[in-house]
Amino acid sequence: MIPDRIIEQGTLTTNGSRSAVEVRIPWYRALPGSCIAGAKLSIDGIPAAPETLRWEMNGTEFTFDELRTNTDEWWFPLDSAVLSGEVPLAAGDGEHTVDVDLTLYIPYIVISDNEVLHIEEHDTKTMKAVNA
Amino acid sequence: MTETLGTPIQGVTLYSFTRASHQREYDLEALIRKVAADGYGPGLEIIGFSSFRGFPAIEDSFAGWFKDLVVEAGLVQTSLAVNADIGIHRDRLLNQDELIEYMRLQIEAAAKLGFPIARVQISLTPDSMEQLAPIAEKNNVTLALEVHADQYASHPRILALRDRYEQVGSPYLAFTADWGATVTGFAPSLLEAYRRRGASEDLLAAVVDLWNGYYAEGPPANQQIHGQRFGSFIGLAAQNGRPELGIDFAINGTGLFGPARVEDWLEILPWVRHVHGKFFGIDENHEEPSVPVRELVTLLVENGYSGAISSEYEGWHWNHWQSPFDIVRDEQAVQRSAASNAGSRMITDRAEAASVLAAHLARPVPHLN
Repeated sequence: MIPDRIIEQGTLTTNGSRSAVEVRIPWYRALPGSCIAGAKLSIDGIPAAPETLRWEMNGTEFTFDELRTNTDEWWFPLDSAVLSGEVPLAAGDGEHTVDVDLTLYIPYIVISDNEVLHIEEHDTKTMKAVNA
Repeated sequence: MTETLGTPIQGVTLYSFTRASHQREYDLEALIRKVAADGYGPGLEIIGFSSFRGFPAIEDSFAGWFKDLVVEAGLVQTSLAVNADIGIHRDRLLNQDELIEYMRLQIEAAAKLGFPIARVQISLTPDSMEQLAPIAEKNNVTLALEVHADQYASHPRILALRDRYEQVGSPYLAFTADWGATVTGFAPSLLEAYRRRGASEDLLAAVVDLWNGYYAEGPPANQQIHGQRFGSFIGLAAQNGRPELGIDFAINGTGLFGPARVEDWLEILPWVRHVHGKFFGIDENHEEPSVPVRELVTLLVENGYSGAISSEYEGWHWNHWQSPFDIVRDEQAVQRSAASNAGSRMITDRAEAASVLAAHLARPVPHLN
């Protein structure tokens, strides 16, 4: 697994109330939207409220509720997705600490009669923010 | 032993180089060319969902480009690893019709891309394999179900598959033997990775002792024992004040390092059409310290195996400090040396590999004695 590369260095953008960062899959193969079970985004220790989180993949933005049933859009290992949420960033050009948690279902590893393995991965990186 | 010694085909799966490809250091074409130029082939295995965007939908023009590239590079396609994503809907498992359709699309993709084998997975039951046999035949793609730690050749689930294969009698139903089922030690490179995460020498020694005890007992007879072993690694980490390492110890200790004996493969060997030369690292003597590569190659050669051995380096998960390319190079040297010591050789020439693989896949349907 490749959790150290979840957050793409230097990709933090902000437009005031919302902030976004590019994320990479910490797994070796493509997974569909239905297997992207959830994410958390915090900047400088301030978490985005879960209902404000959005996931952009293949040029389309989704809520995590929309991803739950989506088996048409896939997260390819070479692609960055964009995770965004309501986190106001302080003005200025200082460094920010970005934390991302990801929960992924691994659809071929069956662990009980009606359940497959899920993995929870975390990454932290420090970077400056760019105005979107 | 058979009268004729096997001549396994040297090869590699691009999975071994996951980090290099994930970090966009080599795109698919560059990685295939590097495999050829550095001599890791001629056998080439690829995971569909890792390397082909939009898989299993494959455009005709892409398939043509890909097949031309492989030939131009001087490689031979061995196996397309496909996935039985039975849990793709988060709230339920696929029903039988959905699963067969899901696999059909991938088998057709294997055929279109020119792979003679599709690696399939343990979540396919004997009934599923029987249902897939005519689809495999129509596409001329052999289905080689992967026997992977925490399963092993004499595991009841695998023997049930083997017995159904014999009953069905299709030449398209087979196994991929993954050497992770027959490991002899907890990989030292993984211990080094834990050391770098601050695990104490006492804790690491305890992890090794626990695993060695299970090796002495042999593979778990059922899921209950498997679960107990899984839990014991978690407990050990907690007792030693490092509970955050427990799941990792457990997943690797029971899911990657399978403690079956090398001879266990004889239970299914006539149905083995592809081999994953799973390994985890190379030591200072240029040997694999935890996978008995020499014994495994000897067993295959002495039993007439002439399919591909796809070197599958798994240590990339934790080993960030060594080049996977150097490690695969060294492991393949061990394989060639072992084949030579067994009185045979590994095939490294493209044309010879192509003809040997075709003959290997055209062998008669095996039967139990």
